[in-house]
Amino acid sequence: MAQTEKKAGLLRRTSSSKKPLKEKVVLMYDEIFAKEDPTKSNPRFWDELFLMKVNLEYLEGKLESLDGDEVMKIKDNINSLFHHCVQALGEEHQIKVVNALQTLCALFRGVHQKNKSATGFDIINMLMGFDKAELRMKELMESLDSLLCGDGSESLKSLCLKLLLCLVTVTDNISQNTILEYVMINSIFEAILQILSDVSSRAQHGYDAVVLLALLVNYRKYESVNPYIVKLSIVDDEPTLDGMGMVIHHALAEYNRQYRDKEEENQGGFFSTLTSMVGSMFIADADQKLSIQTNEAILLALYEAVHLNRNFITVLAQSHPEIDIATTPAVPVPASPTTPLGTTPPSLDMMNNPELPLDPNLQTSNLLITFLKYSSIVMQDTKDEHRLNSARLCLIILTCIAEDQYADAFLHDDNMNFRVNLHRMPMRHRKKAADKSIPSRPLVCAVLDLMVEFVVTHMMKEFPMDLYVRCVQIIHKLICYQKKCRVRMHYTWRDLWSALINLLKFLLSNETILLAKHNIFQLALQVVNLFNMFITYGDTFLPTPSSYDELYYEIIRMHQVFDNLYCMVLRVSTNAGQWKEPASKVTHALVNVRAIINHFNPKIESYAAVNHISQLSEDQVLEVVRSNYDTLTLKLQDGLDQFERYSEQPREAGFFKELVRSISLNVRKNVSLSTMSQDVLLKEFSSIS
Amino acid sequence: MGDTELELSPTQLEELQKSPSASSTSTTSSLSLPSSPSSGPRPLTSSSPSTSEGLPTSSPPLDVISEGVGELSLVIDTEVAKKACQEVLQKVKFLKVDGEVSSASSEPVLVNGTAHPESTDGGKPPKISEEEVEPVKNVRRRQKNNSSKQSWLLRLFESKLFDISMAISYLYNSKEPGVQAYIGNRLFSFRNEDVDFYLPQLLNMYIHMDEDVGDAIKPYVVHRCRQSINFSLQCAWLLGAYSSDMHISTQRHSRGTKLRKLILSDELKPSSQRIRREVPQPPPSCPPPLHHGQGMSEHSLSPSKRTHQRSKSDATVSISLSSNLKRTASNPKVETSQDEPVRLTPQREFIKSLMGIGKRLATLPTKEQKTQRLISELSLLNHKLPARVWLPTAAFDHHVVRVPHTQAVVLNSKDKAPYLIYVEVLECENFETSSVPVRIPETRIRSTRSVENLPDCGITPDQRASSFSTVPNYDNDDEAWSVDDIGELQVELPEIHTNSCDNISQFSVDSITSQESKEPIFIAAGDIRRRLSEQLAHTPTTFKRDPEDPSAVALKEPWQEKVRRIREGSPYGHLPNWRLLSVIVKCGDDLRQELLAYQVLKQLQIIWEQERVPLWIKPYKILVISSDSGMIEPVVNAVSIHQVKKQSQLSLLDYFRQEHGNYNTEEFLTAQRNFVQSCAGYCIICYLLQVKDRHNGNILLDSEGHIIHIDFGFILSSSPRNLGFETSAFKLTSEFVDVMGGLDRDMFNYYKMLMLQGLIAARKHMEKVIQIVEIMQQGSQLPCFHGSSTIRNLKERFHMNLTEEQLQVLVEQMVDGSMRSITTKLYDGFQYLTNGIM
Repeated sequence: MAQTEKKAGLLRRTSSSKKPLKEKVVLMYDEIFAKEDPTKSNPRFWDELFLMKVNLEYLEGKLESLDGDEVMKIKDNINSLFHHCVQALGEEHQIKVVNALQTLCALFRGVHQKNKSATGFDIINMLMGFDKAELRMKELMESLDSLLCGDGSESLKSLCLKLLLCLVTVTDNISQNTILEYVMINSIFEAILQILSDVSSRAQHGYDAVVLLALLVNYRKYESVNPYIVKLSIVDDEPTLDGMGMVIHHALAEYNRQYRDKEEENQGGFFSTLTSMVGSMFIADADQKLSIQTNEAILLALYEAVHLNRNFITVLAQSHPEIDIATTPAVPVPASPTTPLGTTPPSLDMMNNPELPLDPNLQTSNLLITFLKYSSIVMQDTKDEHRLNSARLCLIILTCIAEDQYADAFLHDDNMNFRVNLHRMPMRHRKKAADKSIPSRPLVCAVLDLMVEFVVTHMMKEFPMDLYVRCVQIIHKLICYQKKCRVRMHYTWRDLWSALINLLKFLLSNETILLAKHNIFQLALQVVNLFNMFITYGDTFLPTPSSYDELYYEIIRMHQVFDNLYCMVLRVSTNAGQWKEPASKVTHALVNVRAIINHFNPKIESYAAVNHISQLSEDQVLEVVRSNYDTLTLKLQDGLDQFERYSEQPREAGFFKELVRSISLNVRKNVSLSTMSQDVLLKEFSSIS
Repeated sequence: MGDTELELSPTQLEELQKSPSASSTSTTSSLSLPSSPSSGPRPLTSSSPSTSEGLPTSSPPLDVISEGVGELSLVIDTEVAKKACQEVLQKVKFLKVDGEVSSASSEPVLVNGTAHPESTDGGKPPKISEEEVEPVKNVRRRQKNNSSKQSWLLRLFESKLFDISMAISYLYNSKEPGVQAYIGNRLFSFRNEDVDFYLPQLLNMYIHMDEDVGDAIKPYVVHRCRQSINFSLQCAWLLGAYSSDMHISTQRHSRGTKLRKLILSDELKPSSQRIRREVPQPPPSCPPPLHHGQGMSEHSLSPSKRTHQRSKSDATVSISLSSNLKRTASNPKVETSQDEPVRLTPQREFIKSLMGIGKRLATLPTKEQKTQRLISELSLLNHKLPARVWLPTAAFDHHVVRVPHTQAVVLNSKDKAPYLIYVEVLECENFETSSVPVRIPETRIRSTRSVENLPDCGITPDQRASSFSTVPNYDNDDEAWSVDDIGELQVELPEIHTNSCDNISQFSVDSITSQESKEPIFIAAGDIRRRLSEQLAHTPTTFKRDPEDPSAVALKEPWQEKVRRIREGSPYGHLPNWRLLSVIVKCGDDLRQELLAYQVLKQLQIIWEQERVPLWIKPYKILVISSDSGMIEPVVNAVSIHQVKKQSQLSLLDYFRQEHGNYNTEEFLTAQRNFVQSCAGYCIICYLLQVKDRHNGNILLDSEGHIIHIDFGFILSSSPRNLGFETSAFKLTSEFVDVMGGLDRDMFNYYKMLMLQGLIAARKHMEKVIQIVEIMQQGSQLPCFHGSSTIRNLKERFHMNLTEEQLQVLVEQMVDGSMRSITTKLYDGFQYLTNGIM
């Protein structure tokens, strides 16, 4: 990708310098735009046209410059051009195929740039003609399908994908792209899957294929039945799903690696790291990969896969050694065409699996770990809108993962221990944790760590309320699983408790500012209910009896926060107003926490008085706690272990629409450049033939 | 016969029936047609490839017999074999009476086994029969001299007492080719399992002893190989392993290697398979199908070319690239009759993959990395399952369907990387013929709905066009995101109350209903805290996770518990024939001594059972794959005493009390009795076999109190690094005595009495034990056979010359000596210092 982009930059300059020359192809284009049927003067006009090197800029420019009426006049010629392009795709002569693909690209883009206001139907009419549209598009999609699945040149396949990406992103809002209706009817889903399932083609085209799939899935997602959604949801072929996971893994891991390199470069401290990060995001063109934006599409693909396909969950845990993509060029395995996928004998794969290099220093990793690391980087800074969106998407993906039984099972699997080096925001009041000392633990610990990290680091004026809500929900879902399955994680729950209490404290102290924008009571209620989970169901998932004591200790220690919260919600709920209802819910939720505080505080005071101690040590408090449980009565609250399942519609629909729009713009920008660079490709073919 | 008639042209049949000894050309030609006879012994003729080879028709009866045996490509049931043997006996008697072989060459003796035409196997079979004919000549020559002696032998051989153990013994000791040939034939009449026990001995004799023995054994081996893939592979592995001690130059041409190659070339397939395939073919008069049939037989002729491709019938996922548009369909299973499965390949590849993993693990420095790598490698292996593969250590037929990769553990070893895997299998009738189970994706248990609801979406290209409109019930994404686990994680509303209370056992039904009437429920905080501590106390004691000893936790978990847990998490768990197996994969270790020890232990176990001595030992199965790799059947519910002591920090006696209760509880007493019985058993074994390297890492303790010795790397004439430690007869520490209740207590005396009884019983059947060891010494470079006096010393340890009273004194002395032995303690200390084993 990066290479082609660079080439693109170079080539743009050279091609623009050629502009003044009137090439033959330009003359031929002029003929097309001249209302007359070009075959009248030259019967072999179309044959010759596709032997010419395409001048995309001219063609696009020409199309753009026409107004509606003019276009209608030459409609027949454009229809004819489109028709012949499609026909040329079936040609044996590869130069013709390349030229046809590029011409089609120019056609789609030119027509759309021109007709910003025109309806999709006008565009279809202009390109193909209403009567022929269905047939033409069917032919086009079938040709693309066979090109993508055939044994042809890899560059051709790449060009096909670029054309598709170009077609999918011609409109800002993908759902307004009426031509895609034909792509829905004539599915290329299977071709995409095949690319992903094959090791060598995956390495070369995987990224484009995954992005294309992510975009297609989002076409009129909420309005109609999108066959790509349906199909994606039922894929159960492991090599394919694995392939998809691998592509996503590589993209995210590559970002992580670059980030780490950057960070190591700028060991100078907090400020320089931040500036260089910001700088690299906005300025450095060469380092565009480091931009979060490029990975939005990949993240969206991960989301769709996790959200739609249950089988993909297994891929998350599919471990493979971390591969340095930069040093691992695509090693195409000589895949014999006679060997159908999945039927290769085990040893052949196991013994010479190129994905399992024999390097003892490699840390085994999996998609989930890479994703967690990526999330930890993205979540560090949510000020920029793209980063905020990415962080939100990360949390949504984690929500889906936390809801899935199978995912929960492997997250909590005691036998699957990993060291996950999450990135932590350098902060003044804490030392940079020594990364090396991270113990190998079940993956759920890493997820919880990430959540705690987020809670601790985002208490700021621009309060990302919805991210916080998601974050607390993820924790809640994980605990619900632990309670239900009686999994006792040896996690330092204390970190979580104090993070949550600090969050409550922050909400209290910024009440007025926050209330202007957010419903802070919803978040407060969730946090308090997390504590209620621990208090009433702690016996089912806490690792030791003493951890239950510690919970009480922590609540008692921080009792002032709860006291203040109670005062606040009581005050709000007694006043009439929009917050009356939500605030009173919090009041009710606080009943057990208050019972604990009211029960133990006098006991501790009297203990101090009896023993003449002014400041009790932790052990002494724990001692008091332990000996006074029996006189404390708690109230059982309903529905603590119930949660609302994630559903994309209607709540998230707006977010995804915007996200897809942003991705479309970004993809279009990048694709347009790389399509031009296919001149190189043309040379490649002309030298062959 | 009916089939045959159908298939053979009338003229050919006529010819056959008219002249039983018809010209070989006509026979072979008629039989090489694709319409080869169907299964079941067919009364063909004595005319056979061997005659056609132009060999002198020396002694037809025997010739025919060995012939029949060698060529018996179909099922030889025991009845038939028995009958064949009887006929041989009659012949032999007949010979004796005459004193001279009557060379009635033309006599077309009909034997039940018939010559079976090897239409597709090329020139191999005639060759075999050629070899088989030779000894027969010798037999005849030598039989003249010692006929009287043999009549006694014959009576013995015919008697009911003659069992496989005696057969092996005579095969080994007798220098008479006639006897050897007879026993070779007689092997067919024993039960397969009985012979299988002595397979290492048989094959070792085949490799290392003179030709006559080999020739006597070969027909049987070949016959069994045709019958069973498992047997074929076992033979091939053992042949490879036991040939490895030969010099490399002789090894290549040794017949052990030749036989191994023959087996691995997969030419020894049951002809029934071919026939079944060819039966539906029309008669040869129909040219096009015939051509087709030829194509297939070419196929079966060169299986080696196809070894790298799992045949379609074994493949569970059939994705054809040509019709690449069908890939979303859930994997259809193709069991085509056209494509004959490569018999041995899947299993060989499976084993090879497991060994490959072991080799790669050995290169990783830390246990943690090894474990992670192991898990990831196994998860990839899972993609290829289910397949027609199985664990040879299992006792029943099955197909491996899944390896629960996260459960696998790396075992403690300093430089090698043995690992333990659990394997989910589906029991089946016969793993060779039963169809391979269909793959179920990992998440399938919960995803049935979303998939089945939308079964035909975009499955065929034709449907693609219409799929846009054929999926009306897909309206929002809740459908695709199958609803099933909402029910699992989040119970529907009516159940909410019960669900939220389900952990609070003391609530009566009343309180639940009262909750519905909105009265608050109160719970005591003390109860929650109490339940927490109680639940933690009630769970069976587990070991703490230690990255340096990952196997301790896995092994400590009770087997039943593990089975239940894995079954719950498995997509195949709901199937009634689901079973869990486990196996230790050893790579880089020679397991031949282990196999020898297993055989001796098994033999002693049988002897003690027969003599009703209540000694308890646990022979665990060993699979030798080569001279440096193999698999071991793990002992379930057992952890090493080292792990027990390290994890519990208790003395053995205190650990017993922790696990089984206090002194006078029935549980404790049972565990104590188990301990004593197993201890006595293993003391005898350690003494007889001179098992060394007895540190606590090599002694397991199971959940019922038995001890189990593992690792028989140092037995008989070898001891670790020859440091001269462990001079005592066996290991008996004071801790062990404490568990028995202390010196001179009832249980301790019971222990000594058991040892005496055990020794007496073992002595009575010494020959059976000696023979196992002695045969394996042939041609072996194993360290346990080092020196010349291994067998003599072994025999001496049975003390045949002592009276029972003297034996009792001996036991007393040994127990005394072992207890006082300073070297045992020294050795434990040495192990602690060098290997950290407690």
